[in-house]
Amino acid sequence: MTVEAAPTNSFTHSGKFFNVLGLALKNAALTVLTLTLYRFWARTAMRRRLWSRASAMGDPLEYTGSALELFRGFLIALPTFFLPAMFVFYVAPLVMDPVTAFWLAAGFYLVAVPLMAAARYLMRRYQLARTRWRGIRFGLAGGAASFAWASFGWTILQTLSLGWYTPVARMNRAKMIWENTRFGDQPFEFIDDGEPLAKGLWGPFALGWFAAPIAYFGAFIIMFMIAAMLFGTGALPVSEQIPPEYGVVVVVAAIALVLVLMVLLWAPYNAAAMNRIASLISIDGARFKLRAKTFSLFFVSLAGWLITIFSLGLLAPMAGFLQVRYVLNRLEIVGTPKFAEIGQSIMDEGRAGEGLGDAFDLDMGVGVV
Amino acid sequence: MDATRYADGRAAITRNATVEFAADRLTFSVGEAHHAWTCADLRRADDGAGRVILKRKPDTGERLYLSEADGDRLKLAAPALFGPRAYGVEGRATVLGVAGAAWSLAAVFLLGVPLAAAPIAERMPTRIRTQISDISWSQVELFADYCDDSDEAAHILNDVAYRMMAASDVAMRDDIWITIVDAPFPNAFALPDNSILVTDDLIAMSEHPDELTGVIAHEIAHIEHNHVMKNIVRSVGAGVFFDVVVGGAGAGQMVAIASVNLAGLRYSRGDETDADERGLDYLDAAGVDAAGLARLFERFQVEAQAQAGDAGEIPTMLSSHPATAERAAAARARARTGLSPSMTDAEWQVVRRACGSALLHQEEPAPVAPAAPDTPQAPPIQGAKPEQLEGGAKPGAATPAGHGAAGED
Repeated sequence: MTVEAAPTNSFTHSGKFFNVLGLALKNAALTVLTLTLYRFWARTAMRRRLWSRASAMGDPLEYTGSALELFRGFLIALPTFFLPAMFVFYVAPLVMDPVTAFWLAAGFYLVAVPLMAAARYLMRRYQLARTRWRGIRFGLAGGAASFAWASFGWTILQTLSLGWYTPVARMNRAKMIWENTRFGDQPFEFIDDGEPLAKGLWGPFALGWFAAPIAYFGAFIIMFMIAAMLFGTGALPVSEQIPPEYGVVVVVAAIALVLVLMVLLWAPYNAAAMNRIASLISIDGARFKLRAKTFSLFFVSLAGWLITIFSLGLLAPMAGFLQVRYVLNRLEIVGTPKFAEIGQSIMDEGRAGEGLGDAFDLDMGVGVV
Repeated sequence: MDATRYADGRAAITRNATVEFAADRLTFSVGEAHHAWTCADLRRADDGAGRVILKRKPDTGERLYLSEADGDRLKLAAPALFGPRAYGVEGRATVLGVAGAAWSLAAVFLLGVPLAAAPIAERMPTRIRTQISDISWSQVELFADYCDDSDEAAHILNDVAYRMMAASDVAMRDDIWITIVDAPFPNAFALPDNSILVTDDLIAMSEHPDELTGVIAHEIAHIEHNHVMKNIVRSVGAGVFFDVVVGGAGAGQMVAIASVNLAGLRYSRGDETDADERGLDYLDAAGVDAAGLARLFERFQVEAQAQAGDAGEIPTMLSSHPATAERAAAARARARTGLSPSMTDAEWQVVRRACGSALLHQEEPAPVAPAAPDTPQAPPIQGAKPEQLEGGAKPGAATPAGHGAAGED
């Protein structure tokens, strides 16, 4: 019997919150205990856990990467990235004249922008090359440098347009990545549906763009007004000099409110962009459909942020887990690829990866780019 | 769907399989094809729902998805396959090895660099020292203003300092120069170019010239023992360590920035104790009563406790400085009676008025006992830096150009 028929709703993530939290806590403890050197093992264990709970058509994904590969990537990044960085930031300010040292640092930051994009691409390539389904490897073709320079150009356009190019840039990046993504020997496609790439994104983006700064200042004003009311009604003791702790409480509360509002106001755009990207991805004629909704995405994103912030970043993988579970449980496939005709990948697996990704801390230990 | 299935690693499909288990191997049939796998060469790639999935090592892409019943039979036949290692979980030895490596690296950087700090600091080329000084002076300008009216007061402090240094034969006494600055806190700093900054608030807080002289003695000791450069080497070493081992978010970079930032430049407790002891030696040699310094320390402690409320001081173990009470006691132990004040009443009143210091107390400076006739007079200040004193825009204080701050005390 050939198991090939696939129902439409065929992706699930069976990860349980407390199961993943247990691993995240263990990883966090060992990461602290080893002065963060355990992070390569932690990341690998977390990916193995998250991948194994993700299933497509009843069979799980599998993460085959090893911590030693990540560690090797880090060792490669050491002389190629860390040493120049150390010279620029530690030695140059001491041994070079200030103007030269400044321009060197500025140049370094300028190079770091495309370098980060390249690192992100290489990180994704590594992750895909270490992901299997039914024993067949995924892969990412294309050059990291091409992606880096294109991404750099889009970043410049985003800056020059005061952010308004962002929806197009996001779709361009997705297009470039998905057109180079492979499952075995089968390429994914990013189809042209005859509509503008960023169709449906402008309204939600405009909401975020206009409302976010208003919310930013509004949150501070609201918190200070609440504080003033509390002092005014005698709910809080008013002394001649207000203790600085009260000021800190007001500022922290305002920052928390800003965070909630930012996540909320950008959730429609993020949901729309995720849905749009998924709708344009195709493999062997099969299409995908994602049902991300504003409020559900808002709660998942906010939970991730809160866990990350309150754990000082140590439990950041939980945010990644929540996002991955959210996407997979809302993802459908329309049509069925001819799996019997999809053969093993012939792309090079590579021996080490993510060194630069680790240097830039691109995934904050989440493990999923 | 709970049948045992096999994926051959060549196409993304699975086929039903029939499996037989032996102690060291399993055999299975897929249609007409027969396979035999040795257990020792197998690894697990289970899903999270309890299904056992087998793969071979090295990975051929083949996968065997066992049914629940076959999974149970495998557990009985090959229990070794159900240890954590077979699922790719690292052993305890790996974790201990990583921890050992991390702490060994930490030991090399955090113990080795401080040990190497002294020889490195001593060999620091003048050009780099000047460079660091320039950076430090730019930091000073962020919190301190230069006073137009402190020329005379600065000369008096430099006279007192030179007298002390001459009595103790401090080698770089000709290079050390004291500047009074207007800053919103009581403190004094030693700087990489052998300058010392004294804030007007410290002068205002001092009720007797010997108190201020005691602090200056302490700062001179920092310079004599090269603590400033040693501290910078230590900080940069720590920064490099954090960047190498603690990858990612640039925590090490922050440490490096802080290393040339006054806020981050705190001497280790050892340096502080060293500077305290050496400073008390200067006071002894110059005939200055150390009780003044003890009183100032005690006043610092009272203020710190008042600010901290019931919490009191930072525990000594966590502080970069020795506990103020201990420092006060050490100074008190070296107190001597019958000595003249380190400045005359007239000199002290001039110093107290520098940068409007006395205004902070809103009272006239208390007169001090007249200097004894045999009080040695300071020689002309050979170390005075004319370019500072005549420095155009900001007379009365050192100009920032060409000078560096480094040490906060």
